[in-house]
Amino acid sequence: MTSTLRVVIADDDPDIRGLVAIAVRKAGFDLVGQAADGPSAWSAVSEAHPDLVVLDVSMPGMTGLEVATLIRADESFAGTRIALLSAGVGESAIQAGVDAGADHYLTKPFSPRDLATQLQEIMA
Amino acid sequence: MTLIERAWNLLRVDDPSPTLKHTPTTLAFIAAIIVTISVPGVQVTSLSAVYAAIWAVALSTGLGFLFTWVPNLRHLAIIVPCIDLLAIGALRTGTGGVSSLFASLIILPVVWIASQKGRQYIVIAAAGTSVALMMPFILGVSHFTEPADWLRGIISPIIFAIAAAIINEMSRQSRLQVSKVRALAEERDVMLKGAVDYTERLRENEQRLRDADQLTRSVLDAVTEQSVIGSDVTGLIDVWNPGAERMFGLGPLETQGKRYVHEFHLADELNERSKELNYPPGETVLNPGFSALVESARLGVPEVRQWTYLRDDGSSLTVEIAVTRRTDQNGKTGGYLFVATDVTQALEVSRLKDEFVGLISHELRTPLSSILGYLELMRDDEESPLSYEQVQYLGVAERNAHRLLRLVGDLLFTAQVGSSSFSLVASDIDVAPIVRASLESAKPVADAAGVSLSADMCEEAMLIHGDAVRLGQAVDNLISNAIKFTPRGGSVAVIVGELDGKAEITVTDTGMGIPEDELDKLFARFFRASTATRAAVPGVGLGLTITKAIIVAHEGELDVASIVGVGTSFIVRLPLAGAKASSTAS
Repeated sequence: MTSTLRVVIADDDPDIRGLVAIAVRKAGFDLVGQAADGPSAWSAVSEAHPDLVVLDVSMPGMTGLEVATLIRADESFAGTRIALLSAGVGESAIQAGVDAGADHYLTKPFSPRDLATQLQEIMA
Repeated sequence: MTLIERAWNLLRVDDPSPTLKHTPTTLAFIAAIIVTISVPGVQVTSLSAVYAAIWAVALSTGLGFLFTWVPNLRHLAIIVPCIDLLAIGALRTGTGGVSSLFASLIILPVVWIASQKGRQYIVIAAAGTSVALMMPFILGVSHFTEPADWLRGIISPIIFAIAAAIINEMSRQSRLQVSKVRALAEERDVMLKGAVDYTERLRENEQRLRDADQLTRSVLDAVTEQSVIGSDVTGLIDVWNPGAERMFGLGPLETQGKRYVHEFHLADELNERSKELNYPPGETVLNPGFSALVESARLGVPEVRQWTYLRDDGSSLTVEIAVTRRTDQNGKTGGYLFVATDVTQALEVSRLKDEFVGLISHELRTPLSSILGYLELMRDDEESPLSYEQVQYLGVAERNAHRLLRLVGDLLFTAQVGSSSFSLVASDIDVAPIVRASLESAKPVADAAGVSLSADMCEEAMLIHGDAVRLGQAVDNLISNAIKFTPRGGSVAVIVGELDGKAEITVTDTGMGIPEDELDKLFARFFRASTATRAAVPGVGLGLTITKAIIVAHEGELDVASIVGVGTSFIVRLPLAGAKASSTAS
């Protein structure tokens, strides 16, 4: 049933966004929305009500953490899983992600192959 | 003794010289001679006796001078009055015998003799008097005609002897008193000298205190970048240096003896600290929060802590305050000193540094993510596979991208170490598996470099409390360094054992070695040994900095020993979990 899982991705870097999109497709998920900034990400999530949101932490408009907080504040997204993607590797950065309501914290750089596997594990 | 001193001795009244004692006799004798010559009624019965008397007095006067001038002969001075008695006896003989006018002159030498120390001088005075009185009879100028003449020869000496005894006694008393007075005078002199010395010492101490005070003031005045505030035990300010003046815009006249330390603190911060310390004793309504501020110092432990200072205009600044106790001479707490450094700028620098680190992290790692990701996609593209040559080129690109990524990671970690913002995810871990993993990952590199890699591992588990990932990074660094700096055909040996409650990891290579004078700089950022740069071994000089930081964060030690051309040993010592727990407990 994994083919029906719907995913929204958000990253201000189009190249990274492209890589994540490939990883999502490799994982066998349905990419239902892409965003290049925080507000667009929130709109895409609000429209698509996806099963998984992959958010970059540093985005213009709203950070990934802020978008995650908004999602967690809305009960209609109770079933939505959030994975944060960041270049920050410190313990404090991870803790900030957890505090914002993220379920997983993925770090850059990443291998598209490994990311696909990780996303499958997250949604397993 | 100088001439002046001798002349002075001649005239001293408190200890009269023979000359001075003799002077009355001499003068009286001269007067007697003048009277004899000038007064018509005075008869000269024997001119030769008068001449003898004059010569005798001249002799005694001369001897008086001699004994005065030569102190060593002073004990013979008693001869002088004795000769005087003979001279007076002769004068009396020459001027009428028993009826002579000058019998009374006898009293002068008698006084001298009798005033000498010792009872024997009473006898000498009596005998001398007797001889002087009886001389007219002895010399045949007068004759015993009546029994009274005999009596005169006995009674008069007795009277003179009594007078001599009285004088002798009075002299003794006088000498005793003089002696006492002298002792008192000496005592007074000693006390006076002591008082003068004490005054001098007091003056010196006062000067020293003044100098010390001046030095303290100079030091306080010289500290312009820190505020130094002193208070009594209640927090009332009594020291306010120019640094404090600069920090708060208030002078000492406005604060010393008028304001309390707590008035310049954020009340909420003080309350919070009071609560943390469970409201330490000594606080009053006058100084809320002050006891919390000085609690550690009060217990004798100087404390450095970050606080917020409030200026009178409402603005604030973050400061780091070192609080220390002031003690009086009995060791009792007399007040406190607050030395504050404005850390606002330092905090801003730290924030900017963190921002920079974040920026580096994001801006360098993100493009690297793209590069590595797309390279992987190219390699994995099953629809249009790459040629062997293209795969080789891709491998070079990937290898260098990974190298760049490692460098970014190292820079990021070094920055975190510098700002003390890196932390350990610690748990009880076994050292051997970590080292084994590092050895396994290093094996292909060692094989490629033609370096043999050997290990001698302790069989028993050695648990330490630490971060397995970070420790793995440290061991990786040491082993990869050893391989990198060892020429083909060399060897790298890793030994893991336990020594003195510590896990010990030793990585020894047979590489190029490090000059001795460079060993102490080896762990500095970006430092590269001259042997490494000469041999063009790639690297930026961060690996050992990171390794050392990781080991230190584990409360461990990292030592190095090296001989150029022979090899290098790095020794890591990490406290065992059990040993650490027991040492903490003890």
